[in-house]
Amino acid sequence: MKTRWYSLALTVVVATPVFGQRPIAVTGVQSLSFGTLLPGVPTIVVRTDAAQSGQFTIIGPHGTQAQVTFTLPAVLTGPGGATLPLTFGGSDAGYSQSQNIGSQIGFDPKQSFLITFSQQGSGSVFLGGTARPAPTQRAGAYTAIITLNVASFP
Amino acid sequence: MKPTGLWVALLLGAVRLGAQGVVIAPHAVFIDARTRSSAVLLYNPNTEPVEVAVSFFFGYPATDSAGSIIVRTVEHPDSTSLSAAGWIQAFPRRLTVPPLDRQTIRLLASPPPSLPDGEYWARLVISAKGGQLPVTGAADTARVKVGLTLEVRTIIGVFYRKGAVHTGVTLSGLRTAVVGDSLAVRARLTQQGNAAYIGSAHAELVDSTGKTLSQMKAPIGVYYTMEPRYALLIGALAPGRYRLRLDLSTGRDDLAPELVLPSTPVRDSVEVRVP
Repeated sequence: MKTRWYSLALTVVVATPVFGQRPIAVTGVQSLSFGTLLPGVPTIVVRTDAAQSGQFTIIGPHGTQAQVTFTLPAVLTGPGGATLPLTFGGSDAGYSQSQNIGSQIGFDPKQSFLITFSQQGSGSVFLGGTARPAPTQRAGAYTAIITLNVASFP
Repeated sequence: MKPTGLWVALLLGAVRLGAQGVVIAPHAVFIDARTRSSAVLLYNPNTEPVEVAVSFFFGYPATDSAGSIIVRTVEHPDSTSLSAAGWIQAFPRRLTVPPLDRQTIRLLASPPPSLPDGEYWARLVISAKGGQLPVTGAADTARVKVGLTLEVRTIIGVFYRKGAVHTGVTLSGLRTAVVGDSLAVRARLTQQGNAAYIGSAHAELVDSTGKTLSQMKAPIGVYYTMEPRYALLIGALAPGRYRLRLDLSTGRDDLAPELVLPSTPVRDSVEVRVP
């Protein structure tokens, strides 16, 4: 699995101190993907969808904590300024300390979430969502940015 | 091999991966007033360049009404605040980190001349944005195509220390509540001295014989006043009287010992009655 492979490499990195301290890494592994959208038909991607959910890997000093927040777009922007609504439910985000997509703690991506790094110092964040194209949705390419913010403590 | 050299060697040996983001070290920056400078190392372990932007803001860990730890952001800190965000600069502020390469960001502090002794804080934001990741499952004939770009923002603490710095913490209002199969523990923590209290909290539930039934340990950073909530898994506890002990100490595994300000351990305990 891509997330695990990536974190394995970064875990090796994190295991070695730098300047007497340990590094942190936040990585976008896979974008949230909705595939083909049909006008008027909402498309839902659940956070447990291995192929289409958004996936991030977070590496940090084991036992420490960090605050996770998302900056989410309300719409995607397309040709000529056309917009396509994007919504996120109260359990559309998930965190897995073991980096197992089947073993997540769900959380609201519109709220902050406190994570504790595992003994291996790694974890994965997953994101689902719903795209709601209008019946008269204009054809073309629509884009937006999803931002994951990770604030490490102390 | 020196630790830094070994780390770089490991980084350079990292596999090529189709992802975006950078490795940042260290995870907290301490700047001494005698040198007024420090550095942050970025490494891009990916196969695509990563665009990085660097900025600062003033914020610190605090707790919300439920006791969860959050970063409290102060948009416009006044002159009496302990913000260093206005006078620490990063060079460069924008850069591109090539694939499998590393870059150094230098931090330079220019504090006001009359700055009193103490510790001042800022949060360093490192935003990394790569190219748009491939959208899987989008057929070429799709009438409506969607491409979402991922951006990651890593926020680390920056501590500027001038002159004699010392820290401590007071613990009050220790209380507990049985919630399902857990024991919720809350206490009011107030920072003392002129520097943040960076340490660890250790909670332990013992029975009348002193036997430990459940315990937890968590890192803690007290910048002003906070009331964190901890949860101890207790399962089906038999009715009776127990004691909850909470200890705070400045030991931290993730920080070099010379960076952690020592302080006398603080502890309190409270009786827990299970009906």
